Amino acid sequence: MELLIWGDQGWGDELFTASLMTIAISLSSYAVGLVFGCIGAALKLVENRWANILGEIYTTVFRGIPELLVVYLFFFGGSLAVMSVASVFGYNGYIEVDAFIVGMLAIGVVAGAYAAESLRGGYLAIPKGLIEAGLACGMTRSHLARRVIFPQTLQYALPGLSNLWLINLKSTALLSVTGLVELTRQANIAAGSTYKFLYFYIVAALIYAALSFFSTIVIKRIETWSNRGTVRIKV
Amino acid sequence: MVSSLTQPALEVIDLHKSFGSLEVLKGISLQAQEGDVISLIGSSGSGKSTFLRSVNMLEIPTSGTIRVGGEEIRLKPGRNGATAIADRRQIERIRASLGMVFQNFNLWPHMTVLENVMECPLHVLKKPRAECLDEAMEFLSKVGIADKRDQFPNQLSGGQQQRCAIARALAMHPKVMLFDEPTSALDPELVNEVLQVIRLLAEEGRTMLVVTHEMRFARDVSSVVAFLSDGQIEEQGPPEQLFGNPESQRCRDFLSHFRDEAKSKHG
Repeated sequence: MELLIWGDQGWGDELFTASLMTIAISLSSYAVGLVFGCIGAALKLVENRWANILGEIYTTVFRGIPELLVVYLFFFGGSLAVMSVASVFGYNGYIEVDAFIVGMLAIGVVAGAYAAESLRGGYLAIPKGLIEAGLACGMTRSHLARRVIFPQTLQYALPGLSNLWLINLKSTALLSVTGLVELTRQANIAAGSTYKFLYFYIVAALIYAALSFFSTIVIKRIETWSNRGTVRIKV
Repeated sequence: MVSSLTQPALEVIDLHKSFGSLEVLKGISLQAQEGDVISLIGSSGSGKSTFLRSVNMLEIPTSGTIRVGGEEIRLKPGRNGATAIADRRQIERIRASLGMVFQNFNLWPHMTVLENVMECPLHVLKKPRAECLDEAMEFLSKVGIADKRDQFPNQLSGGQQQRCAIARALAMHPKVMLFDEPTSALDPELVNEVLQVIRLLAEEGRTMLVVTHEMRFARDVSSVVAFLSDGQIEEQGPPEQLFGNPESQRCRDFLSHFRDEAKSKHG
């Protein structure tokens, strides 16, 4: 237990900070995922063949390649891209991109590909009549989107999106390979320097489990709110 | 008579609608003067619902003219020979002046009864909240569900939901009300409470188009009954004439089917 003491002797404060980093990267990459998910779903839903193809390519590619590989590609590809831009301005040294930003984008873009499918399914599940009722009252398209389509889509997409949040939380562990000191990386460092491998990995596992447990409580609340007005049949 | 001097509330001229190669409306013309209650009857597939849905552009007609209060809805040629809405703002404004009641109510399930009724006066007509609330409560009282204001649609019976949908349409102060088989999705014992409300609106002198299978209601309430068959108005006239002494054979056949049904119910 003394291994978890706060301060220089123990790893408590480091693990705590790393947990905060995991939460921060999870939240921000998930937010990126939702934005990309909305764009991806919209691309697949609009009546435009090129948009449909683009949406299809996005969701197929990023659901199809291993997430770890996406992280590598973003990390090294990102450096290369930034450096080539810098060389235009006459700087030719090595630039390492910010691990947080790249990690957020890499995990977020993958999450977006899954979110797109959940959101698309949610949209397609909306009874058509609800949209017609809005149109018949003279709603503009943006009003309809905000007040009818969004809350309805959310309700149907929420189980999928909740699932995605939990998966996304764990995916951030992949970012330990980029040097971002999130929970897994920190556990790794602590384990390596104390040789208490099993101990620190169990601690990290418990923290992930606690975060997931806390998430499910929040998700339950959001679901209750989103399902207001819906009568569920109990089987 | 004032109404004869003003524009007809609704005027439809030679309306055609095709779904692919299937022509559903084959040139329908209809006029509703202020205060008219026009019932559209006919067997299923005759085009009466499609016609009603074309009036507020939920279906975009292939050709034809629609005027609401004298204003013509502007259409333009779209892709693949279809027609399209020319001016979205105009459509939104005209739709706001046409109250529509659907067969399946189509209340927004995530909003309470009161929120359903207030939504469009508040956000489409952009009236002050206090005024919207007062009016919403007034219309909910009129349809007899003021006590359900904070319930969600799924907590109500079908009849109550449909009455809420009527209140939602009324809250927009529509020039014309469109009813698309408003009682067809209801259990038989709930049909009357909804018809009662529609009857009340007719007595107030509202202009209404009602697609219905309730023949007795059509006979009692309408000023004009139009019988549709195969995408055309086969016969139209005052209810006494159409129900009492229909001229067309198809109309007679259609009505006799209902008469037999009524008889067998009593027999």
